[in-house]
Amino acid sequence: MSSTEDRTQQADPATTALRTLITGVGYRNLRDLSAGNAVVDRLETLDWPPEVEIEDLSYGPIDAIFRLREAAFDRLVVVGANARAGRIPGESYRRRWHYEPEPPELVQARVAEAVTGVISLENLLVICAHFEALPTEVTVIEIEPEDDSWGEGFSPRVERVVENVCTHLHAQFGLTEQDP
Amino acid sequence: MCFKNLPVEFDENGKAYLREGVSNPYEYTPRKDLTESQIVDLLSRNGHLKEVNFDPVTRVAGALAFHSVTDLQNRKVVETNAVATLFRGYEVILKGRDPRDAIFISSRACGVCGGVHSTCAALTLEMAFGIQPPPLGIILRNMLLAAEFLYDHPLHLFLLAGPDYSQSAVEATNPELWEQAQTTACDHSNVHGYATIGDIMTDLNPLSGSLYLEALHMTRVAREAYVILGGKYPHPETIVPGGISTTVSITTFNEYYSRLVKLFDYSKKVALIWDDVFDFFLRANPEYAKVGSRRVNMIDTGLWDDPDLYDTTYENANAWGNGRWATPGVLVDGELVTTNLQDINIGLEEFVEHSFYDSWEGGRFPTDPAGGPLSPNHPWNKETKPRPGGINWKEKYTWDTAPRWDRLAMETGPYSRMWNTAVAQKMPKSEFIEATGHSLKMLLPKAMTPELELEWHIPKDWNALERNRARAYACAYTALVAMDNWMRGMQMLRNGITEVSTPFEIPRKGTQIGVGFWGAGRGYLTHHGVFENGKISNYQIVTPSTWMASPRDPFGNMGPYEEAVLNTPLLESFSKDEDFKGIDILRAIRSFDPCMPCTTHVYAGDHTIVREVNTCACGVD
Repeated sequence: MSSTEDRTQQADPATTALRTLITGVGYRNLRDLSAGNAVVDRLETLDWPPEVEIEDLSYGPIDAIFRLREAAFDRLVVVGANARAGRIPGESYRRRWHYEPEPPELVQARVAEAVTGVISLENLLVICAHFEALPTEVTVIEIEPEDDSWGEGFSPRVERVVENVCTHLHAQFGLTEQDP
Repeated sequence: MCFKNLPVEFDENGKAYLREGVSNPYEYTPRKDLTESQIVDLLSRNGHLKEVNFDPVTRVAGALAFHSVTDLQNRKVVETNAVATLFRGYEVILKGRDPRDAIFISSRACGVCGGVHSTCAALTLEMAFGIQPPPLGIILRNMLLAAEFLYDHPLHLFLLAGPDYSQSAVEATNPELWEQAQTTACDHSNVHGYATIGDIMTDLNPLSGSLYLEALHMTRVAREAYVILGGKYPHPETIVPGGISTTVSITTFNEYYSRLVKLFDYSKKVALIWDDVFDFFLRANPEYAKVGSRRVNMIDTGLWDDPDLYDTTYENANAWGNGRWATPGVLVDGELVTTNLQDINIGLEEFVEHSFYDSWEGGRFPTDPAGGPLSPNHPWNKETKPRPGGINWKEKYTWDTAPRWDRLAMETGPYSRMWNTAVAQKMPKSEFIEATGHSLKMLLPKAMTPELELEWHIPKDWNALERNRARAYACAYTALVAMDNWMRGMQMLRNGITEVSTPFEIPRKGTQIGVGFWGAGRGYLTHHGVFENGKISNYQIVTPSTWMASPRDPFGNMGPYEEAVLNTPLLESFSKDEDFKGIDILRAIRSFDPCMPCTTHVYAGDHTIVREVNTCACGVD
């Protein structure tokens, strides 16, 4: 996994006790843009300690507000494909996410998008943050897509990075052979 | 005789035929408008004219822009153009694919109405291939789509259109109205608990008002009702030809019901809140009756099939269509001229003179499967031939086509299905809903709040406020349709009937055609499919927004948005031109609940989807 901001991948017993949600966001069957969903699908097949939950939050930011409020996680890790200028396709970019409050008109526009079906990583974070549903610690892992056409599977580079992200997340938060 | 413009007549058995002696029955000559230079000249000679552009009108995909020329001195709109800014090309994407793909791919046309597109595609395949769903499968489909609308209507009323009637908007655009609202008592305080109109407007404020926040919560309740039965939303994966691919039990029915009762209570409040708000506007200034007004020309396919009648066939479509909980129909100048799905189908044409498409020859299917005549411009005969170009208001300016019925521009919405149902009085017998011929009476059962009878009356004037008022009453209507179907489904389960789908195979040889007639939350929806040797050879989607955001047609008639805005008086308070916000124009357009993603489709050639669709089925910039 390449990272511009955070390369900490080792399991930390002091932090794994925190209630953590690892989630993915995206549309299925849109090749590399479905990376967030695929990560969740693969993580769900692995073993996790009771304080770590895996769930796809692609059902929309508004429902996610209620889910996150009710569950009151300590930590959220969100994975999704996101195309940004100047980045390398097939790379992942990990960062701590902090909410810079947006003007109300912009948040309202995002809500309108959300209720009418827009599923995007950024809308999810901004809307949940605005309605104070996010835990204090939020980590975002963005995967830069290469192939954005219809269909299943990934481009070779994104296939590799999806697998790497899963491996690292499991190493950081999952049960290992040493765990009881 | 329902056709006045097309040369279509009916014999004594009701079978449609082309009038004899008409050599080219569907021929037309496009009308010539003013040239671009004449318009520029007109603008320059009238210094008080101002161009006003809204782009986007709605962030639902950011795909609708609206261009208008306003005369601020005389407070009139003098020129309008609705622009669908994106081409998404689902019709092109679907060509050559397995017919079953239509269910999943067309669902991506919209993040709100994915379920209706899936269902409409399933109906298309059922008709083409003769796949009869079992009764419980039909009931479940009805319950699912009712839940979808119970998500859709409140989100429009409180999250999209509601802010236009909130304290923050009204105080900024009509401070005199806001002053008045604060001291005007509500007529229905006993039901919704608000003392004054000002109190309601304050709670309509986006992001902070309690009605806004409550709507966020209630959309979740409705969505839960859907996923309890359908497994997933948006873009459900359990809709199949011949029913649904999930299992249900009395437990899942009870879970659905527990959500439905919450929606009963909510529906009581929603209808009367909006009654109070709109009555206030109309009393404060009767000119509001002209905002968004247009002829009562409406079309609807109806939906919610009676399992005793629905047999998938085109030949019997009039019979099963008339048995629906929402009656299909066409209203021309307020008169219900037909409730027959076949009439609705044969009167349909699509024109592209002002759209970024090339025309086509058409004519492969001169008649429908019942022998009724079809225009070369009918969807079964249509070819989607995109031709991108620059905007020219007098030539081509949009990616939307101009669908017309009997060459008339039609609008559609929950109000058209309620209007048709109220007048036709053909809906199945219901314990909760009564069609009176001029109204719909709805008896909402006791839940946390007492039983309440609501009555939606066919309005005298047709305008933006009445569109939204009807939409508010449509919450109750929809919840009660869900209840009727829940009761029927529960009885089937108690009788040991659990089959929800029928096995089927797609024929690998021959040509088959089908049409799905199914309403979306926003009204009329059809999918027309032509299938050859097991593949899709033509697939055409006409959505509510295709109708309503349509451009001018070759006969010079405007599309419904354009017409409604042109009729809108500018009632906003402003002293300087630069203060003009165009709230009345926005209210007019938003009253149609514009959902451009349904209308316009992003396609970048060779089935590559550009970013708009990748980030969202609806497509956002």
